[in-house]
Amino acid sequence: MKTIVEAKRVKKIYGVKGNVFTALEEIDLTVCEGEFVGIMGPSGAGKSTLLNVLATIDAPTSGDIVIDGTSIINMNEEKLSAFRRNNLGFIFQDYNLLDTLTVKENILLPLALAKMDVTELERRVEAVADKFGIRTILDKYPYQISGGQKQRTAASRAIVSEPSLILADEPTGALDSKSATDLLESLKNLSEQDKATILMVTHDAYAASYCGRVLFIKDGKLFTEIVKGNETRKEFFNKVLAVLSAIGGGAHDII
Amino acid sequence: MTLFSVTKKNIQGNFKNYLIYFLSMIFSVVIYYTFVALQYNEEIQTSIQSWKMLQSVFVEASIILILFVAVFILYSNSFFTKKRKKEVGLYSLLGVRKKTVGKMLFYENLIMGAIAVIIGIFFGTILSKLFAMMLLKLLSSTVNVSFSFSIDAIINTMIVFTIIILFTSFQAYRLIYRFKLIELFRAEKEGEQVPKASIIGAGMAVALLVFSYWIVFHPITDQSLVQLSLFLVGMVCGTYLLFRSLILFLLRASQKNKASYYRSINFIGISQLLYRIKGNARTLTMIALLSAVTLCAISIGYSSYYNVEEKTKNMSPFSYMFVSKDANFNHQAKGIIMGDKEHPVQASLDIPVIQVKGDLSDLKYVPYGHSADSVPTKLISVSTYNQIMEALNKKKGNLHLKGELAAAIRPWQDNTNSDYIGHEVKLQLSKGNRTVKLEKMFEKRIVNWTASAPDIYIVVSDSLFADMTKQVKPFFYSAYKVKNEKMTKETSAKLMNLNAKDLELSTFYTAYTEELQSSGIDIFLLGFLGLVFLAATGSIIYFKQLTEAHEDKNRYNILRKIGVSKREIFTTIAQQTLFVFLLPLVIGILHSIVILKAIFGVNLAEKSIIIPIFTAIVAYVIIYLGYYLLTVRSSNKIVYK
Repeated sequence: MKTIVEAKRVKKIYGVKGNVFTALEEIDLTVCEGEFVGIMGPSGAGKSTLLNVLATIDAPTSGDIVIDGTSIINMNEEKLSAFRRNNLGFIFQDYNLLDTLTVKENILLPLALAKMDVTELERRVEAVADKFGIRTILDKYPYQISGGQKQRTAASRAIVSEPSLILADEPTGALDSKSATDLLESLKNLSEQDKATILMVTHDAYAASYCGRVLFIKDGKLFTEIVKGNETRKEFFNKVLAVLSAIGGGAHDII
Repeated sequence: MTLFSVTKKNIQGNFKNYLIYFLSMIFSVVIYYTFVALQYNEEIQTSIQSWKMLQSVFVEASIILILFVAVFILYSNSFFTKKRKKEVGLYSLLGVRKKTVGKMLFYENLIMGAIAVIIGIFFGTILSKLFAMMLLKLLSSTVNVSFSFSIDAIINTMIVFTIIILFTSFQAYRLIYRFKLIELFRAEKEGEQVPKASIIGAGMAVALLVFSYWIVFHPITDQSLVQLSLFLVGMVCGTYLLFRSLILFLLRASQKNKASYYRSINFIGISQLLYRIKGNARTLTMIALLSAVTLCAISIGYSSYYNVEEKTKNMSPFSYMFVSKDANFNHQAKGIIMGDKEHPVQASLDIPVIQVKGDLSDLKYVPYGHSADSVPTKLISVSTYNQIMEALNKKKGNLHLKGELAAAIRPWQDNTNSDYIGHEVKLQLSKGNRTVKLEKMFEKRIVNWTASAPDIYIVVSDSLFADMTKQVKPFFYSAYKVKNEKMTKETSAKLMNLNAKDLELSTFYTAYTEELQSSGIDIFLLGFLGLVFLAATGSIIYFKQLTEAHEDKNRYNILRKIGVSKREIFTTIAQQTLFVFLLPLVIGILHSIVILKAIFGVNLAEKSIIIPIFTAIVAYVIIYLGYYLLTVRSSNKIVYK
């Protein structure tokens, strides 16, 4: 199977001399096409740093990252922007929708950036909107719709340009359980049916149980990794809980 | 902790947020104080001869300034309040009583206002010395300007700003009563309702503007105040509606063209402009009107300075002129004029003139202080006219008039631009009246103007003139044209020292220096107002764009994450800013041209008017461009901070 993400000895240090904080300590990570990978760990473990580094929003101090065959180290600003636009899709905890745009315009943003033909662009937006069940709200503004709808809009935007990698940072963090389940089901379908590659950072064991593989990070290092394989989601969920309590990330992370 | 100390802490803690508002208050005080201090400046009063008359001009200008300062402070206050609604909501949510919050905001505004006035007066003192020096330089006066605190100016400034600041403080007090808690919280978050593009609005805009333009071109009647206010209302409302519907129309049109709308991030810029449409319409109106006023002020001031010589030539076509009836005086004057070897006489002339009572009811112009049916009217013959033309232009005049046909020369004080051709003037003579028909009309005057004599000149045919000399004895003007008349300071002074009572003595040099002085004050006053408006226009746009850049920061952040490059974001900022800058500039220039055309009348095509106006517009556009570049740069910086 094709390798989408190949990160080697990625290190990230914040601060300057005397006041240094190591967020990531030589992490290796490989993600293949169509995988749905979860990243878990206690607060401050470096989950978001890892995601930001992979998202090219933050540059690693050392190490090498190859995404879809391209090394993102030493790329200049211009190239990084183009790379993000063409290869990555983002879903954030706080949606990050533009409140000046309608739902439809928010979704088509990446396509417009790629200067896609209008008819093709509209066809794609409608197809994605159908997939996430938000066709009826396409002409509304973000402040007129619910949190769940916002997150599905954000997810639509992330996948509409068919990126090689989708990065999700706590996508269910602000959602109620019904909306969260809907979103997770959708993401799972994306990876299973459309062979979309998804990397999701989460605190929530329930959300993690939808993944095919879950990585645990502690103090900037890879702690362990569990694979769902042929287990049911329920069994996998319990396994995630077991690892979490072993890490000692605090019971409040589980509940 | 007392309320007062909470207030104090509030200002200290959020000083950055307060800075814009605070600076605009200081700016207003500085401007106003500077101007008022000039008005009370003794050195200036002593170096301007006609100070008494000018004082009213200064007072009028300071009223315009008060209006401007009030609007400007209210405007920045509303900006400031908008930013703070959430904070106010939070206090309320935490259980602070409404009255307490209100009082707190009241004191806060009051303290800031008081500090702004003190700082403003301090800087105003420095600035007023600078401007006083500039003004005296323009008047070519040698008086030195000392640093001084003018108590009168301080009291004047205090009174004006106490009223304004008390008003805004009261507004601040009422803020919490005016809005529901939920509205306070949503203030910044919710987009403004995008209004529907309405044909009625666009039609109204055009109708109002046409109406106000029409008023401007209408001759001034007794009800000029009514006219002026109708014009102002029409222009303000028309411009506002124009922007509202024009912006909507332009933006909606660009939305319809999907291929370009959805290309790259064009639609982000357009949707952001739509998002703030109401506020934009208001600001753009203000900028367009301010630009128009600035341009008018600068153009008028500059053209009056630019045209001093031209104007004096029309006022005093001859270098020296007096009524020739005192032989002794004639002799003395001739001696002085001939004795000036540096300014040799190029032409000298005795001009026979008949003065009769004339009935001017048929004309639109009636000299001040006379009734239309009995105005002292001066007549000269056509051959004298041709001689004068030869003396002035070194080229023989070729006017021919026969019988009862006549030509009129526009009086110095007639600003109506009305046409005399085809009208009739009845001349009252002892042996029955004669009626002449005006066939021609001249804008260039031929006899020096003096305040004491009536100024209606009619050129009649030689036969008619000869006929009338039998009834009315003509008198003579002695007129001299010398070389380089602009420099005849000494000769002019010598003539003026002679006893010339009732001889209507006038010299080009005196008229020229008087004109120079009054236009120097004109250009100073108008230039000062122009500068103030220019600064205000720039800062209004600048603050508006910066406030919006702060609001937009998060949006651009999201775009960056999605993969929009820095260059693309820069482009969209530059485009949006251009839109906000360009529209009002165009409308403002149009407005100012219409107003100037109304003021200068048909002469707008003349070089002497076109050049000052053109220069003013070019200068304005260049400064404006500077503001634009600065704004784009600052917005871009804020977005990346």
